[in-house]
Amino acid sequence: MLFNRLPRLCSLCSRVFYSSRGRGAVWRTLTGHTSLKYANITQVQHWGTVAPKRLSHSDFGDLYETESVQRFLQQLMEEYRDTSKKIQHAQLSESDRKILIKRQKELLPLANVFESIEVALKDLEEVLSLLQSSAGTKDEDEKLTQLLKDEEAQISHKILALRKELIRALVPVDPLDTSNVVMEVVSGRTTGGDICQQFTREMFDMYQGFASYKNWDFEVLNYTTAEMGGLHHAAVRIAGENVYRHVKHEGGTHRVQRIPEVGLSSRMQRIHTGTMTVIILPQPVEFDVQIDQKDLRIDTFRARGAGGQSVNTTDSAVRIVHLPTGTTAECQQTRSQLKNRDTAMRMLRARLYQSMMGKDTEQRHSARKQQVGTRSQSERIRTYNFSQDRVTDHRTGYVTRDIKEFMRGGEALEDLISDVHEHAEREAVLEVVESSGVKESGQSAH
Amino acid sequence: MLKRSLIAGYTCFGCWSVGPKGLWGYHAVRACSAPALPAGRITARQAADLWKRHFAERGVTEPDHSSHYILAYLLGAKTIESLEQGKLTEFLSREKTEQMWKLCSQRLCRMPVQYVIEEWDFRDLTLKMRPPVFIPRPETEELVELVLNDLQMKPRTEVGAQETCLEVGCGSGAISLSLLKSLPQLKAIAVDQSQDAVDLTGENALRLGLQDRLQIHHLDVMKDAETVLSLCSSVSVLVSNPPYLFSEDMTALEPEVYWFEDHAALDGGNDGLDVIKQILTLAPKILSDHGRVYLEVDPRHPPLIQRWVEVNVEEMHYVETRHDISGRPRFCILRKEKSNKDHKLDLD
Repeated sequence: MLFNRLPRLCSLCSRVFYSSRGRGAVWRTLTGHTSLKYANITQVQHWGTVAPKRLSHSDFGDLYETESVQRFLQQLMEEYRDTSKKIQHAQLSESDRKILIKRQKELLPLANVFESIEVALKDLEEVLSLLQSSAGTKDEDEKLTQLLKDEEAQISHKILALRKELIRALVPVDPLDTSNVVMEVVSGRTTGGDICQQFTREMFDMYQGFASYKNWDFEVLNYTTAEMGGLHHAAVRIAGENVYRHVKHEGGTHRVQRIPEVGLSSRMQRIHTGTMTVIILPQPVEFDVQIDQKDLRIDTFRARGAGGQSVNTTDSAVRIVHLPTGTTAECQQTRSQLKNRDTAMRMLRARLYQSMMGKDTEQRHSARKQQVGTRSQSERIRTYNFSQDRVTDHRTGYVTRDIKEFMRGGEALEDLISDVHEHAEREAVLEVVESSGVKESGQSAH
Repeated sequence: MLKRSLIAGYTCFGCWSVGPKGLWGYHAVRACSAPALPAGRITARQAADLWKRHFAERGVTEPDHSSHYILAYLLGAKTIESLEQGKLTEFLSREKTEQMWKLCSQRLCRMPVQYVIEEWDFRDLTLKMRPPVFIPRPETEELVELVLNDLQMKPRTEVGAQETCLEVGCGSGAISLSLLKSLPQLKAIAVDQSQDAVDLTGENALRLGLQDRLQIHHLDVMKDAETVLSLCSSVSVLVSNPPYLFSEDMTALEPEVYWFEDHAALDGGNDGLDVIKQILTLAPKILSDHGRVYLEVDPRHPPLIQRWVEVNVEEMHYVETRHDISGRPRFCILRKEKSNKDHKLDLD
């Protein structure tokens, strides 16, 4: 009960905020990262004539074919050329020059890829024209034709890869990506409480499995059990490499559909629906709360009297008060006072984080409404259908089978997370494009 | 005053007639009048409430915690908070009810909860507890933390060099076992003047699977100094929660402490320094160079110890006093230094 007051982490926190401010955006440096899932190589056909088409859920690179993205890219390249030209100019104030150089630097990786694409396109054109001219000739050139065709395929492949890279370079960096998180799992309160609690425990186990799969630290801050081996609520701190980047899209309502195995509802052999909610609160390193011991007041039963050997008490409760803010945390979960103190300290830290984060996100939120999608935490994001052995993510339509394997929190979960992540990045790119003021006429790409 | 009158009140019951050794006998239990076993069935919560009230009426300290811990123990949990909520409203079986009555009756006779349920937690360990072996106090958890922090900070200068730790007065083994648990490279030697303590430390070591790195000896540092010296040399850490109470304060102790715990683990002599002085005298011969002593002491002790060491033990250097969670000066850290003649640069 003590911990139910724990950060009911504001829904804002787990939305994704990007630091990019349109034209002042920070570009993700190019990585060799390629998307495998949908990397089906097709012929490059429409590279010259961009047909605006509705974005279907497929290749990351096909964003390139969106008119608005094309225009945006052209605009950026113009800006790059412009900036480079301006820097050459003699009559520039020092401060202006600095701004221009900084901007040029930001655009440079993008420009490099863009240039590579241009070169590749020229090569392709040449090959194509050679092919065309050789089409009329006789069989003695068959070998040459074959060579040319190989060449063409190769260049086309390269262009596709480069385009993907280009789009990836457009994805704004989320400064919180490397953060650790506090994750809460909360059982739903809808019909059939026991099915929700059961499911909450399974979800908890899944994330624990995922943390171990990713070699992250998984530290339980609170674990409130329910009947029949269910779980009411749990809070954990997950620390490791890029934790927030991986789990940020897990926040939201998860739905379960199954014939219950235990509990009241198991008596009726029909499919029940339950929910649970995941809340993700990033804990960025730079906000790592530095707590001065002098600012703390620690209350224990043993504070009275002489303590030490002269007193034998079993009251191991600890309360810590952070004097400057009045924030308190207390713990009496264990029989060890030291463990209670450590837990209380972590809770206090999490609460201080939360209040700092709250302020921070509010500021960012009012400054700019820039997030991936417009989903709030309360929206249902995924369904776990045990009866049909299927997991469906409603944001992307991604479907995967073998629910048992999925709930182990290993590769299957990571695949889904990567897919959602990619989807979110696409949306983020489009957001950047739209907010840059590139308007499309006619059909919308989004 | 209150404590004294409580003790006086208890002696009137007549179940305390022999010397201190006889105090731990379970015969004392029956002398305390427990409420009658309920005729019908009662729920766990009702049983806890009933005993809480009864404890309170009889002036038993921590009535609610006592009944809660005993109930939780019977239901297979450590704390009532970690019990499933539904369990509290379920009826207790006849057997469980009888057990509850038996254990709570012991508590009614002021037996510490830790002895009643025969276990307690110390840091992340659960240790077996048995009278009259001293029950570790929360302050000692902090003593272990001090040692751990220092040992973990130490750069691994000599690769593969194994550190050894000596504990004087191991009691249930709490300190040594915690250190061994947290530091897989460490070896420890534990000594105690009480056979009960030696046995209990051994049992706890076995339960935790730490027996291979722990030597336990039945030794009294006051009498068997030579044996202690022959057993250990070049120890890097000497840690102790020695008896540090002033003899005159002994009679003011709560019945839980005074009647049930080994006085030899509590009474430190007139100024509470008897064992502490002996430890510090032996320390230079036991420790390796720059080896450290960590002591838990009475809040009045640190300045006394510092002065005494400066005068009497040339090779020991008083490093610092640390405070416990409630801000009392509770821990003394000392370090072995080469004597002034061949004093070298302090590399620590």
